Amino acid sequence: MLKNLRLWLPGVMLAGLISAGCFLVSGQFIVTFDFASHGFDPLIVASPTTLAGVPVDLNLISEYKDHKGDLKDVVDLALLGKMTNLTGTATDVEVWMVANPSGILTTDTAVRAAGVRVWGPLTLPANGAVSINWNKSATLFSGRKALIGEIKGDGRFDLYAIGSGAYNFRVDKGALVAVISAGK
Amino acid sequence: MKRLLILAVALLALHLASPVSVARAGSVGLGLYGGESIPVLQDDVDKGTMYGVRVPVKLVPLFMLEPFYASSKLGEKTVDIAGLSYTRDGFDETSYGLNAMLSMGGPVQFYPYAGIGSTKLKRTGIESTFTSYDFGFGVGFHVIPKIELHIRGELQAVVDNGASRKFGNATLGVSYSLFSMP
Repeated sequence: MLKNLRLWLPGVMLAGLISAGCFLVSGQFIVTFDFASHGFDPLIVASPTTLAGVPVDLNLISEYKDHKGDLKDVVDLALLGKMTNLTGTATDVEVWMVANPSGILTTDTAVRAAGVRVWGPLTLPANGAVSINWNKSATLFSGRKALIGEIKGDGRFDLYAIGSGAYNFRVDKGALVAVISAGK
Repeated sequence: MKRLLILAVALLALHLASPVSVARAGSVGLGLYGGESIPVLQDDVDKGTMYGVRVPVKLVPLFMLEPFYASSKLGEKTVDIAGLSYTRDGFDETSYGLNAMLSMGGPVQFYPYAGIGSTKLKRTGIESTFTSYDFGFGVGFHVIPKIELHIRGELQAVVDNGASRKFGNATLGVSYSLFSMP
């Protein structure tokens, strides 16, 4: 029996490797949709009735396009950039997603009716600016599941930044980052 | 590595104070190890250090089971986006599990092994636990009776939703034979 160990353990390992092949041929890739590259920099959100949405189409991003067919999961997300409050009143900024956009919306009432909150709130101090780093951003997702669903779906959705109260703020060098797991 | 050296000296002292052992079929040991963990095909994390504890249990000749615990501190990753640099934390990784190994050789042992375990990956905003598998090959050297040095290379796969995060782990360890049976 002991002699057989020489044979069956490598055999079991080989069988394990073969059966594990489906998850071994995989990797994690960073997909970045930066707003500047698509004509949305800076993004001025002048008031609750003068929004500026960002139509996101991840199919335009090669890392997403290359792995869309074997995309298994979205393992990390971030919304990055610098937000500047252009008023003397603090505001809480949220990012909302409209999953099946039929056109850019211009009021936060319409966005709240059609979409789902995916990120925030982030407090912008009066006349202040906040640079959002990756680690901070990762803690602010509130609708991770909905956003992941869209990324694993058609990759086409709109994002809106909206504030609280009467607001006017600017987003510079904004970007959506998703780390995708893809495998054969 | 410094801790490993201190442990090796401590084990050596312990060994010198104990009766000389002879080779036996069954044995239980205790080992410590450290090394490097290198992410494979992962854009969002960099290589880091790892260390851990193993308890090799030889029940019959040739075959060993080895419960293990491992901890890794993977490196942060910096990427440029829209002209700005952003840094993402690496993972704090902890694993425990069981390896099965086929031990061949005499004073110098060669052993392929495979194992299964539970691995927790934690970084800012994310904390999840997954099933993990490891496959590897090790070489053990009897430095003196009861004490062995081990060099291992392994592929660790942390499975998540049909894909996996993979790590190439290279470690150097030392083990001490706690007791053995004739």
